[in-house]
Amino acid sequence: MRKVAITHVAQSSGAESRESLMDFTYKVNKEILDKAGLKREEVGCIIAGSADIFHSGLSCANAYDWDGIGAFMKEGSRAEESVFSFIYGCMRIMSGRYDTVLVTAIVKGSENPDNDPITCFYGDPFYLRPLGINESSVAAMQMRQYMNRYGVTEEQCAKVAVKNLGNALFNPYAHVKKRVGLEDVMRSRRLYDPLKEMECAPKSDGVVAVLIASEEKAKELTATPAWLKGYGCSMDYFNPGDRDLLNGQLKAAAARAYKMAGIRNPEKNIDVAEICEPYAFQELIWCEQLGFCNEGQGGELIDSGITEMDGSLPVNPSGGVLATNPYPARGLYRVAEAALQIKGQAGEHQVGKKVKTALAHSTHGFGGQCHSVVILSA
Amino acid sequence: MGKSVAIIGTGQTRHGRRQDVCYPDLVKEAVEAALEDAGITLKDVDGVVLGTMPSMMEGVSSTHFYFAEAMGSVGKPVLKVETCGSTGQSIGHCGFFWASSGMADIVLVVGSEKMSEGDGQATMNTVFDPFFQRTFAAGAPGVFTMQSMEWMYRFKIPEDKGREAAAMISVSNHDNAMDNPHAHIRTRVTMDDVKNARIITYPVRLLDVCPASDGACAVIFASGDKAKKICKKPAWVKGIGFRGEEFFYGESDKAIWMSATEAAKEAYSQAGIKDPLKELDVAEVYNPFTYQEMIFYECFGFCPRGKAPDYVLKGTFKKGGRLPCGPSGGTLCTNPIGATGLIRMAEAALQVTGKAGARQVEGAKLALSHAMGGVDQFNGVTILGSEQ
Amino acid sequence: MSIEKYKIVEGQVKVTYELALGRTWSHFYDCFKEGKIMGTRCRKCSRVLVPPRSFCPRCFEDMDEWVEVSDEGIIETWVYVNMPFFAQETKIPFISAQIRLDGCDSGFTHIVGGVDMSDLDKVRAAVKLGGRVKAVWSREKKGSIRDIEYFEPVK
Repeated sequence: MRKVAITHVAQSSGAESRESLMDFTYKVNKEILDKAGLKREEVGCIIAGSADIFHSGLSCANAYDWDGIGAFMKEGSRAEESVFSFIYGCMRIMSGRYDTVLVTAIVKGSENPDNDPITCFYGDPFYLRPLGINESSVAAMQMRQYMNRYGVTEEQCAKVAVKNLGNALFNPYAHVKKRVGLEDVMRSRRLYDPLKEMECAPKSDGVVAVLIASEEKAKELTATPAWLKGYGCSMDYFNPGDRDLLNGQLKAAAARAYKMAGIRNPEKNIDVAEICEPYAFQELIWCEQLGFCNEGQGGELIDSGITEMDGSLPVNPSGGVLATNPYPARGLYRVAEAALQIKGQAGEHQVGKKVKTALAHSTHGFGGQCHSVVILSA
Repeated sequence: MGKSVAIIGTGQTRHGRRQDVCYPDLVKEAVEAALEDAGITLKDVDGVVLGTMPSMMEGVSSTHFYFAEAMGSVGKPVLKVETCGSTGQSIGHCGFFWASSGMADIVLVVGSEKMSEGDGQATMNTVFDPFFQRTFAAGAPGVFTMQSMEWMYRFKIPEDKGREAAAMISVSNHDNAMDNPHAHIRTRVTMDDVKNARIITYPVRLLDVCPASDGACAVIFASGDKAKKICKKPAWVKGIGFRGEEFFYGESDKAIWMSATEAAKEAYSQAGIKDPLKELDVAEVYNPFTYQEMIFYECFGFCPRGKAPDYVLKGTFKKGGRLPCGPSGGTLCTNPIGATGLIRMAEAALQVTGKAGARQVEGAKLALSHAMGGVDQFNGVTILGSEQ
Repeated sequence: MSIEKYKIVEGQVKVTYELALGRTWSHFYDCFKEGKIMGTRCRKCSRVLVPPRSFCPRCFEDMDEWVEVSDEGIIETWVYVNMPFFAQETKIPFISAQIRLDGCDSGFTHIVGGVDMSDLDKVRAAVKLGGRVKAVWSREKKGSIRDIEYFEPVK
């Protein structure tokens, strides 16, 4: 298998942009090509990451994306979830047919309906949707089960929001920039009890681009490549009632990624993690299932401070999805942030310790129906 | 180079108006057929690729969730790839790259659509931008008709000659569909039927246009070594190409259509094809519209620019002709859009492995399959062969 | 188990979007409201595009030079639309066309009107590929694509 590395990263802010979606897309792509010193013609192929109508008001979003990602008359494609786009881009390099692939994820949340009415349409039209089930309501049920089964407290869950929004203050691209204390989170509106408003991710704008390259090309393009070491993905049953919401497919996805990367002790081997936590408590469950602590110990993990920016395993130094949630693009934001940590280019939110190996995670669907895990290393 | 890749099995539903099944069950029908054809079980599958048209088509978003069980992806890695009408080719290409990369040995690729459940043309209209063109767009027929008119005008093709050739394409596709048990429309039509059918978008008439179908298709890709081990007669992927033009209709010349031309050129160069008319044995061209099919013939180098009607009238592309096109009855007789491009690929695989039954082109060794998407924006081509 | 009649559920989906036009297209419609059609020119390939673009899709360079193009041009191609579908914005039958405005290098999508629509032969006699058409502007302009009512054949 050919080696693949991320050579460059460019991203927009998560805050509302007045640009049209097309111009918004172009700016970030222009920036990454300029950074890499490449012309659009010199890129091997281009993969977009975007979701159609519900997340854009446009059907076949690739049609509209095409100009802004610089893909005119180029080989390319589009995947719906942005980590899917990333790994598909990597596969194209591994196949030996391309030396560079530009992967760009795009959404303007500010133009779209709210997350809840959109995720409601994940539901089938006969059972789940008429009941008003959406990602938030399933998450709230998952949270209640989590607290009940393991004795994790509401405060421990709320601490995730305090930590991540605190980290976001150091990230110039973050959307929500607000210093919050535990009391603020605990007192925020109970939208889906026990979930509170500040524990739910916002709806953000976001274009993020990563340039990936083959070994030879990567060394030519950058002194600080972030190598792809592992990838794993796994899909769960559709109906939330058919699964144990506290024991989903993340373990399987992580096991695949760790095996490929040769990681035996994730808690020790991983230096920093960017985890997709659209709901605060989910960071705790996902940390458990990624093997950062034992089952049911997520509450103690956050209490210990290990996952703080200066801890031994910082989680979401960028502020995570709770600070910036460009829904279909958020996975690639995690990958980009993990790469920046390895490159030592995360700026003010660069973690204190030396980063050799970083983990990026993405999830979407009710209660985390699908998970992807990416391992990058210096 | 990465690993060589072959198709080891294909499966299709009975296409048509399928109100007897819910959408996931339709998908399952194709997946089961493909697994049976390949002689493998879900346990052997390392990853699953899904593609459909946008959610507005059936009103369910991100259908890889909804189809998790139906496409056998529970506990497996998935990819969801979509490029509008060219989705079927794009997911096939993704299956190819996944197996070629070494990340998987066997990849199941699934395309589907249940068009009876929504409004296809209203959906297509939302592909147009909301600020300039959507107001005056008329779905797919509007665009394809404008393109065909421009093409005839450019190459000075007399209107009745274009009409005659288009009618002939309709008749031969309908004839071919009679040999295909999966086809949606299975009725013979005459030249007069086509020429007198109701006008949809002048000069295009009802029988120049594909139906809106419910249907799914599944194709199983395997890395070369694996394919040789478990499949007696795989269909080898010889070349793939995909190109896209600008978003706004009107910016590129659609009478010449560079995305179609360049996608084919790319695939030919990988497959070592120099004279497609001579070297290809059969082609499954994505042909939702009779007139447009002729533009594809020219873009793919089957005949010189502006000459497609002459070649059609000579019978070059008919069953028994020099290069039979659409022996399955094509998109013109079956169009579940998200599946359609993959059906073209599956049909090409059946042809080069001698498994196409009554629609078999005798001795076919090299086949082209194709799909088009967006507002005349995207084209994808795959060449399959019987030899590695 | 035998099913007498398969059940069908009917439903409609309505979702609301707020789509941003951004700088370039906002300016286009500001000018459109004043009866001017503006395009942008690429400094590299010198093509003038309408709708205007902030960047050239081919050269991938900024396009910030504004050019006014004519409200008269040539029909590149047209289609007679008589097919109804859900949420159609223009009433059928209508003629959708690509119009190459003088001074512009891309086709402008709009409708052709001012012709007798009662009979297809009459339409075909009046609307020709390569024929010249001129914009008929609305009396009340709102800064939308409808500020031009239609393009009419130049006699």
